[in-house]
Amino acid sequence: MSFTIRKQGEIVVVDVEGQLIVGNRQELKQKVLDELEKGEKRFLIDFTQTGYIDSSGLGVLVSLSKKIREQGGELRLANLNDDLKTLFELTKLDTLFQISDSRERALESF
Amino acid sequence: MKDLHAVLAAFQEATQCPVAVWVADDKMPPTLAIAVSSGNVLSPDTLPETEQGALLTNNGQVITARLSGLKRAWMTMGPCEGGRRPLERNAELLLPVVNRMMRTGLEMEHTAAELAGRYEEISLLYTISEILGRTVALEEAAKTILVELSQTVGSRRAAILLYDKPTTMLYAVAAIGVEAQLTSIPINDMGSVAARVFRTRHLAIADASESTSEHEAVYSRDTMLAAPIIWTSSTGSLPLGVVILSERETGQPFSAGDQKLVAAVATQIGIAIQNSRLVRASMDQQRLQQEMLLAHDLQMKLLPQPGSLSADAEIAARVVPAESVGGDFYHLFRLSNAATGVMIGDVSGHGYRAALIMALTMSAASIHAQIHSDPSAMLAALLGSVREELATTEMFVSLFYGVINRKKSCLNYANTGHPHAFVLGPDGKCDRLPALDPPLGMVDAPPHAASLPWHSRESLLVLFTDGISDARNAKGDRFGEQRVLDAVKKYRSEPVEVIQEKVFESLRRFLGRTPLRDDQTLVLLRA
Repeated sequence: MSFTIRKQGEIVVVDVEGQLIVGNRQELKQKVLDELEKGEKRFLIDFTQTGYIDSSGLGVLVSLSKKIREQGGELRLANLNDDLKTLFELTKLDTLFQISDSRERALESF
Repeated sequence: MKDLHAVLAAFQEATQCPVAVWVADDKMPPTLAIAVSSGNVLSPDTLPETEQGALLTNNGQVITARLSGLKRAWMTMGPCEGGRRPLERNAELLLPVVNRMMRTGLEMEHTAAELAGRYEEISLLYTISEILGRTVALEEAAKTILVELSQTVGSRRAAILLYDKPTTMLYAVAAIGVEAQLTSIPINDMGSVAARVFRTRHLAIADASESTSEHEAVYSRDTMLAAPIIWTSSTGSLPLGVVILSERETGQPFSAGDQKLVAAVATQIGIAIQNSRLVRASMDQQRLQQEMLLAHDLQMKLLPQPGSLSADAEIAARVVPAESVGGDFYHLFRLSNAATGVMIGDVSGHGYRAALIMALTMSAASIHAQIHSDPSAMLAALLGSVREELATTEMFVSLFYGVINRKKSCLNYANTGHPHAFVLGPDGKCDRLPALDPPLGMVDAPPHAASLPWHSRESLLVLFTDGISDARNAKGDRFGEQRVLDAVKKYRSEPVEVIQEKVFESLRRFLGRTPLRDDQTLVLLRA
């Protein structure tokens, strides 16, 4: 489980490897908040290498999205696998995020 | 020296001349070490410093001879009875005998004194082991240890200081000989010998001038010995504090033996501290486990008995928490003769915090369900009650709330992010009751509601949490919601309790011995 943060243009891209769960959600949150503190506004979390997100992980995504919006920024998601996509649809979380099927499309959409 | 005494007595008897041995310390005048009778001997201050000579005293002539191989010791012979002169020849014969026996005797005394000293040290270490072994709290034992240690080493002033991580200070757990208020020493205090010893983990002996710290002043006077308290394990060593001794009773410097002894005691204190911390942690763990068991009982008691609504509906409901306490719950409400309310919820995460949110949600729901017959209004009111708590804890609740009205043959429901809610109709068709809003606490907007037909005593409401559908076996395969629905469909004509058991049986078979990752809740209802 690890997070990689890199900048692509004006957008901070976070790759989540493995799972986003109760054990590592704070790490993701802190990394994103650190970037927000530095003045970054646009964030993309790429789940290409993510197998599972538990309810705590979902909570962190919503919390981060709120905090970024409060600073006038935006958090978008990309590359959810089929299970995660179903989860987002079944829980109506898809109404809270702009979700793209590829990183390129997500980057272009900002 | 008994043997020498016997020799001198025999000599006196044979020659009628008394013989005595005198010994003087560096700064002290000579004192009588051995004499057969003390009534007829020289006054010490008359002893010459010369090797050998003759003196005429008031009582007669005395021969004195310096003993060789000893720092300041003399043999005196005379004055003899009857005013006879002591024979120099006798003195020459006796001197080597006395010399040899005196040396042997003093060596034995010295060895005995050393052994006595070692015995005291061993005895101290044993006593300290006993004190530390008897007690769990080091603070209680610290004073006793300090008294024993300072008595053995001969220090009037002593203290045990332990490291407090949050404040990065060395604070006194015990002190003796300190009249002023005990002070704490910051570990980065460059003027403090104790702080330096803690940082370097090396024992130090320092003059009063070396300690310039105002925090340390109360603990040091004259020379100070400070030894680190270290706990060493296979993974490395950890400094825990410092033992300080100062103001020696003899005014003598601390010896190598003192250093070894204090270092040994400090090591024992280190082990005791770590043991005490482990025991405390274990006790805390036990207490926590007991509290968790109690919390589990309380949580299970919050859940209503399915039989409490048996006049209106057939209900089977079960929560299996992954930990002692969890975030899954269900609730049942009798709203009127014709209306039954049913709720299933899953608070994000599990453990204590989730259980507290669950309890808060359940108690608020009990009030709002009686006031608001419309599910969306009820969940809006519920959100108003728990919004702040959810926001501060960054938690949320996926919640389904349905009201079955048998008279109107309809099911009204609101669903905030709960993925697994179904109605199995009389035709065997299974309809999902999809989430209409994200989980409660994620958005501020009031939840929506929907309605569908309900066939009294035929329709079966099936609600479960993702702890069941997301459960994985040892191979990593998901149980999935279809397996739940297949079991429900297969046994749909059975009583709800039987259907429930069949679902859990199927789940158990699938999982084998894989431990639970999440709470598992299933509610089945016919009304």
